[in-house]
Amino acid sequence: MSSESPSLNKPKHLKYWTRCLKTYLPHAYIANDSMRMTLAFFIVSALDLLDCLKSHTTEAERKDYVDWIYHCQHPHGGFRGFPATDFGELRNETNAPWDPANLPATYFALATLIILGDDLQRVRRRACLKWLAEMQRPDGSFGETLGENGVIEGGMDTRFGYCAGGVRYILRGLVDGPVEGVKDIEVDKLVWCIRGSETYDGGISEAPFHEAHAGFTYCAIGCLSFLDRLPHGAKAKRQDAPENNIPITGLSNLDITIRWLVSRQTMTLDEEDAVDTRMDETDTAATCHDAHSFVKMGSFISTAGELSYKDRPSTPTQLQWAGFNGRCNKIADTCYAFWAGGSLGILNKVHLIDHTANRRYLLEKTQHMVGGFGKQPADPPDVYHSYLGLAALALVDEPGVKPISPTLCVSKDALRHLEGLPWRRKVEAGDAASAQARGTDTLAVREGAVEGKYAAMSGG
Amino acid sequence: MPKYAEDPAWSDVEPLPQNDGGPNPLAAIAYTEEYSEAMSYLRAVMASNDMSERVLDLTEDIINMNPAHYTVWLYRAKVLFNLNYDLRKEIDWLNDTALKHQKNYQIWQHRQTIINRLGSADGETAFIAKMFSKDPKNYHVWSYRQWLVRRFELWDEGEIEAVEGMIKEDVRNNSAWNHRWFLVFGRDSSAHKEQDVIERELEYAKKAIVLAPQNQSPWNYLRGVLRYAELPVSHVRDFALGFAPADSPDDVRSSYALDLLADVYEEQHQKEEAIKALDLLATKYDPIRARYWEYKKNLLEQPTAAA
Repeated sequence: MSSESPSLNKPKHLKYWTRCLKTYLPHAYIANDSMRMTLAFFIVSALDLLDCLKSHTTEAERKDYVDWIYHCQHPHGGFRGFPATDFGELRNETNAPWDPANLPATYFALATLIILGDDLQRVRRRACLKWLAEMQRPDGSFGETLGENGVIEGGMDTRFGYCAGGVRYILRGLVDGPVEGVKDIEVDKLVWCIRGSETYDGGISEAPFHEAHAGFTYCAIGCLSFLDRLPHGAKAKRQDAPENNIPITGLSNLDITIRWLVSRQTMTLDEEDAVDTRMDETDTAATCHDAHSFVKMGSFISTAGELSYKDRPSTPTQLQWAGFNGRCNKIADTCYAFWAGGSLGILNKVHLIDHTANRRYLLEKTQHMVGGFGKQPADPPDVYHSYLGLAALALVDEPGVKPISPTLCVSKDALRHLEGLPWRRKVEAGDAASAQARGTDTLAVREGAVEGKYAAMSGG
Repeated sequence: MPKYAEDPAWSDVEPLPQNDGGPNPLAAIAYTEEYSEAMSYLRAVMASNDMSERVLDLTEDIINMNPAHYTVWLYRAKVLFNLNYDLRKEIDWLNDTALKHQKNYQIWQHRQTIINRLGSADGETAFIAKMFSKDPKNYHVWSYRQWLVRRFELWDEGEIEAVEGMIKEDVRNNSAWNHRWFLVFGRDSSAHKEQDVIERELEYAKKAIVLAPQNQSPWNYLRGVLRYAELPVSHVRDFALGFAPADSPDDVRSSYALDLLADVYEEQHQKEEAIKALDLLATKYDPIRARYWEYKKNLLEQPTAAA
C-alpha cells in the first residue's frame, strides 16, 4: 500500500499530445476517420489544458490549424466531420446529400477555434444557425446530419442535443427568439425531450426507456446548462418573473440524479473484479460497496470463506482506487470519471465524489507510462480516454492542469475568450432588455461562482 | 497495391483524391494505401451518384475499414433500394459485420432501415441472442431491441420470458432490468397502472434482492416502481429491515437496504435513525461515498430546504 501521493506525469502527457498534434495518428484511427474534427478537439484542448498550446506550437502552425478547421466548413453552414466527403468542384445539388455538415463536428470545430484564440468571424453564422434549426425533429430531438429531401439522419440521441445546445450557446449566447432574422431552435421542446429520457433510477439515457448511461447523462445535463434550464439557477433566478414566464427546466428529480451520479463511483476496476457472485454467501454489504472487488481481494467464494471473513475488520483497503463506471453494475473506465464527474461539476456537486480514490485510480491505474490514459488498467492510451482522463483531473484542481468549464469541456480561459468576443456581446446586447429581465448569467459567471469551491470544501 | 485502379470493372471511374486542407491538417491519420484508394473511388461514385451494383462491394470495403463513416451507410441503403437488391442477403451480410464491429452504432441504424423496409422481424430475436452471447450489455443492441418491439408489436411475443432468462443468468445485468421496465411501463396502454402489476413488479425485484442483496439493479428497480406508483418508500420498510436490522448494525447485508431505510426514516421523521443509517454508510458499508452520505446528513439538518 503506497502512501505517496501519485502525480500526473506531465512531460509524458505533453509528449503524447505533441505527437498526436504533429505526426500522423496510427492506422488504427482509420476507423475514427469520420470523427477527425472530434479528435482535433481532443488534441488541441488537451495541450491547452496542459497550458502548453502556445509554448509548443508556433503562431504560423496555429494559423494553419485554424485554416484547416475552416477548410472543413460546409458551404451551407456547419462543419464536416472530416475532409473526406468534400467533392470539391464536383459538388452539386444531386450529390449534396453525401457531403452534409455534421452536428457533433460543428460543435467541436467551434470549440477548437475558440481554444485556438480565433474570433469566429469566418463562421457562416447565420447559415449555421438556420441549419441548426432544421436539424431539430418535431419531438425536440436533434439528428446528426441532413440527408436527402431534408430528412434528419442519425439516431435520436442526447449527444446531438448537447451539441445543438453548445452550437447555439457559442453562436448566440443566451438570447431567446430570433437573432438577425434567423429563428431559434425550439428550446422548450428540447428540454421536454431530455425530460423524456430520464430513467426510473435517476440517470438519463439516449432516448425514452433506454438504459441510463453516464455519457448520455452528461450530454443531457450539459445541454440544459447551455440552455440555462437546470432546476437551480434558471428557476431560482427568475422567480420575479410572472408565473407563466418561468421556463420549464430539465431534471425533474435532481436528488435522485445526484444519487445516480455518485453511485457511478466504483471499486470494480477490471473484468476479474466483476466476477459474478450471485447466490454466494460473501455477497453482503460488509464486503464493501462493491462486493465483486472484495471477493477478488479475499480470494474466497465459499461458506468457508465467509466464516473466515466474519471476524475480520472491514478495512476498505481497496478504497485506494475507485474509478467510475458508465452504467449500473459495469466496471470502471477512465472516460466516465469525466462523464459522471463533469455532470456533477455542472450541478456544483463535484465535491461529493471520493476525489482521492478517483485520482489514484486515474494516475496509478490508467495513466500510461508513455503518456495519456488508457480505458482500463494496462490498456494502451488513446486520444479519447487520454483527453477525458485529463479533463476529469481538471475538474478538481489538479496541479499543472488548467481549470475546466464542465459544461463546455474546454479550459475556463477558452470560455472567457468566447464570452469576451465583441460581436458576440453585440448579439447579446441586441436583446439586452429581455436578457436582463430574465436575469440570466453567462456560463463563465455561473461556473465561476463555484470556482475554488471544491478546494474549500475538500480542505482538511 | 492498387485494387480498384487495376480492376476492369472500375476502369471508367476517375478516382477523386482527398483535399486534406493545407500544410498542417489536424488529427491527420496514417491512411493505408488500401483505404486512401477506396475512399477516392467512393468520392468519385458518390459525386456522380453511381447506383450500380459494384458500389455495394466498394461500400462494404470501406465499412470494413471505417464503419463509423456517416454517409457511406446512407449511400449504400439508397443503392440497395435502387437496385431492388435482396434485402435478406443484406441482413446476412450485416450479421457478420455487426459481430465483427461490436461497438459500432451506424450498423444498427442501417439494420433498422433495412428491417423496416422488409417489414418483418423474422430471425431478429435469434440474431440479437447471438449478439448477447458476446456481450449481454451491448447498448446498441438493447436500443435496437426496443425499436423492434415497438415497430412489430412484439410485447407479448416472448419478450418478458427472454428478459427473465437473462436476469436469471446474471441478476446484475442492468440492461436486462431496464428492458423489463420498458416492457412493463413503456407500453402504450394503461394496464401497467393497475395494482396487481405494481405488486407483481415489486415482488419480482424483491425476489432478486433476496438472491443477491448487494446488487444495485433490483434495488433501483424497486425504488423506481414505488416512485412510479406514488407509493412511499416506507411501503418496503419491513423488507429492507430484513437486510439492515436497525438494532444490529453489524449485521447489515446490503448497503442499498441501509440507503433505502435512511429515506424511510426521513420520510417518517425519525431523524436520529436516519442519521445513524447515513453514518453507518459513510463509515462502514459504503465509505467510497462518505461525502455524499455526509451531504445527505447535512440536508437532514437543514430546516425544510426549498426543492
